[in-house]
Amino acid sequence: METASPPLETASADELQSLEPSMQTVWSIKRGAFATITAFAVFFYDLAHLFGTSALPFGVLTAIVAVLGVLYALIWPRLMYRNWGFSIRSEEIYIEHGVLNHIRTVVPLRRIQHLDVSQDLLEREFSLGRLIVHTAGSRSSDVVIPGLNLKEAERIRDRVKQFILEDPLMEDPV
Amino acid sequence: MASPLSNGSHPPDSGGNDHDSGEERSRESSPQEPAADTDGGSAAEPFGTMEETAPDADPENPAPDTQPTASDAPDDGNPVPNPDNDGPATLGELHEPQRLHPLTLLQRFLASLPALLLLMVPVLMNPSGENVFYLFMTVAFGVIALPSILLQYYRFSYRLTPKQIIIQSGVFNRQNRSIPIERVQNVQIEQNVLARVANIAKVKIETAGSTGTEGVLEYVSLDEAQRIRHVIRSFQRQTTNAETATEQDVSADSIDGDESDASTSPEGERRAEEQVLFRMPLQRVFLSGMFRFSLVYIAVVFSVFQFVEPDTLLNYVLASRSQFQSFVDAIYASPFFAAVVTILFAALFGWLTGIAINLNRYYGFHLWLEGDKLRKKHGLFTVTEGTIPLEKVQALILRTNPLMEAFGWFALEAQTVGVNVDEQGHRVVVPFARREQVLDVGRRVREFDLPDSFQRVSPLTIRRSFVRYMVALTVVVAPAVYFWPSDWAAPMDAALPYWAYTLTPLLLLWAYLQYTHHGYTLSDDGLYIRRGVISRYIWVLPTEKQHVFYTTASIFQRRLGLKSFFVDTAGAAGYAYPEVVDVPADTADSSLYRLYDRFHTLYQDRIRAATGSADTRLSSEERPQLPEATRNEWAEG
Repeated sequence: METASPPLETASADELQSLEPSMQTVWSIKRGAFATITAFAVFFYDLAHLFGTSALPFGVLTAIVAVLGVLYALIWPRLMYRNWGFSIRSEEIYIEHGVLNHIRTVVPLRRIQHLDVSQDLLEREFSLGRLIVHTAGSRSSDVVIPGLNLKEAERIRDRVKQFILEDPLMEDPV
Repeated sequence: MASPLSNGSHPPDSGGNDHDSGEERSRESSPQEPAADTDGGSAAEPFGTMEETAPDADPENPAPDTQPTASDAPDDGNPVPNPDNDGPATLGELHEPQRLHPLTLLQRFLASLPALLLLMVPVLMNPSGENVFYLFMTVAFGVIALPSILLQYYRFSYRLTPKQIIIQSGVFNRQNRSIPIERVQNVQIEQNVLARVANIAKVKIETAGSTGTEGVLEYVSLDEAQRIRHVIRSFQRQTTNAETATEQDVSADSIDGDESDASTSPEGERRAEEQVLFRMPLQRVFLSGMFRFSLVYIAVVFSVFQFVEPDTLLNYVLASRSQFQSFVDAIYASPFFAAVVTILFAALFGWLTGIAINLNRYYGFHLWLEGDKLRKKHGLFTVTEGTIPLEKVQALILRTNPLMEAFGWFALEAQTVGVNVDEQGHRVVVPFARREQVLDVGRRVREFDLPDSFQRVSPLTIRRSFVRYMVALTVVVAPAVYFWPSDWAAPMDAALPYWAYTLTPLLLLWAYLQYTHHGYTLSDDGLYIRRGVISRYIWVLPTEKQHVFYTTASIFQRRLGLKSFFVDTAGAAGYAYPEVVDVPADTADSSLYRLYDRFHTLYQDRIRAATGSADTRLSSEERPQLPEATRNEWAEG
């Protein structure tokens, strides 16, 4: 653009930071648990109809669900990971994510109302944290960056907090 | 009745300013109180007595912010100490816990009667031993519900301090709610018909933080309601005065100017301060009702018809007049004709209902500017007053529909934060006016320049919408065809659901119309987006109020090289939000960059203007360093 300001023009993919690779494992475990339960449920359904008049031969339904489960739990997290990128710039947070829908988000730091760093049980095992950025926007009032190193998440939080606190305008973000 | 425009029915007091008017009201309301109470035949006990109002008859009135703990001040008969300051309003008896108006009791009792009657119905229909249970319930109701109304009333109290509004309530669980005055956005006074007869009103206190209403006082006397609002406003004005005086001389000057004017001639100044921006004469209200033709009302009328049994009604009306006999015969002869007549009747009723509802809502609508707040008042049976602080307006929305637009009529809404959840963040500013008038009022709210033309999105959007509609149609038709019994209607050997595909040209037309009515303009002051075929919106999204910037590209959009972009604002509604759908991907990206760039530049310029230098936060070297220990910890981790 014609102005001297640095925003976004530098948004090339190589600059983007990836999530921690271990996030793929966390996603896989969470989704795998769900897929396994579903597959078992379908398997028991199949079993119950073993001697009934079913349109499909025994095991087909289970196999379909199992294949979908593998896609869902093993392949999809890899795609999610590959499509996730973010960069904490001097004045904004820039995020790209989404497997089917590619979504790019620009959150100006001065619009941030508050920040959370959270961690669930599984994430704690991998010392991962997620940064939750709350804005006053209405469509999605919080933007989440998962799969950060907990220390890194806290560092980003403190840095952004510093930026907000130093705002010379000190205006109400709304 | 006291008009809020003149802020009380009292005559102007010589040399009085705001505080005198507040105080004078309390002086004159004391003798009136018993009179007002005799309306309801209840005692004047909970309200201000002469002794209580006496202290604030003191003309030298206190500035509440110089006296930070009025709430803690013991009740020494002089509740508000008075340094010689321009305190615009007195707390008066409001600083002590107040009860609601006694008529509240009557109102709550009346409101509980329907439930009681419902319980009584079986007993009344069949007063025999079988209905002992219902009789028992009725008695239980009397024993539990009625005393609880009384208890609730006596356990409810409210009071004001310069810093907060304190509402205590609850019979068993005491609730102590305090609302900081600086967070109050809107004090709404509502009166329905009964309340107006009894001269009482409901006060709703809305704040920025919560979406709903934070505190409700239901009911207080109208005088009291206006006094509460007045006191809250003047406390707020003082706080802002104090803040701006230290920070920005310019704005402090202007506010001071207002105040000094106020002290010279309160009534005249008040008129000058209140600029009426928009008024709706009666015929305009009728006219606007005629355009407010809503299918909802027709649906309501139809659902009422279900109970009314139109045949009997029509019989009753028409058969009594023999000259209409032929008409009645015609209706009985042809079901098609009957259906058309019914629909026409429903449409007519729906239309008239729409006019009536609109009349009730917008009767006597007027909008005026008071300082930095828009205020409006309207309604026939229920008079509603509303306040929209200008600085809380996030976006403006011009609305119309094809019929209104053909005659040149528009409506203006403001998207605000922290107001009524009923209006979903969108508040009507001008219900119905000419385009120029709407733009004029809109510019008073926020300077903007509506572009003459809008940039179109990619024509590929027609194809996408059309495909989407066809898929949706198929999703409905396919199961219908599958389950369609072979002996049911199948014109020309095709099952009836297949005939839904005759809608195809209409869907294509619809997709095309959506394309022609969708457009956007990136202008220096913000983003303008136009959308909608039947319900037409134009959004004005000022750069200053933009929040988060998005582009999205679904898997189908990517195939066509399209993207959508969207700028989030605070308080936007979920159903119709200003998204620009299906523009070429590179245009979407560059638009978003331009928008963000403008946003960024705007704030950089502001920082430069405020501090005289560039934003120092931008370079990390100049950023204050974090503690050594923390940095080492990171280095290790």
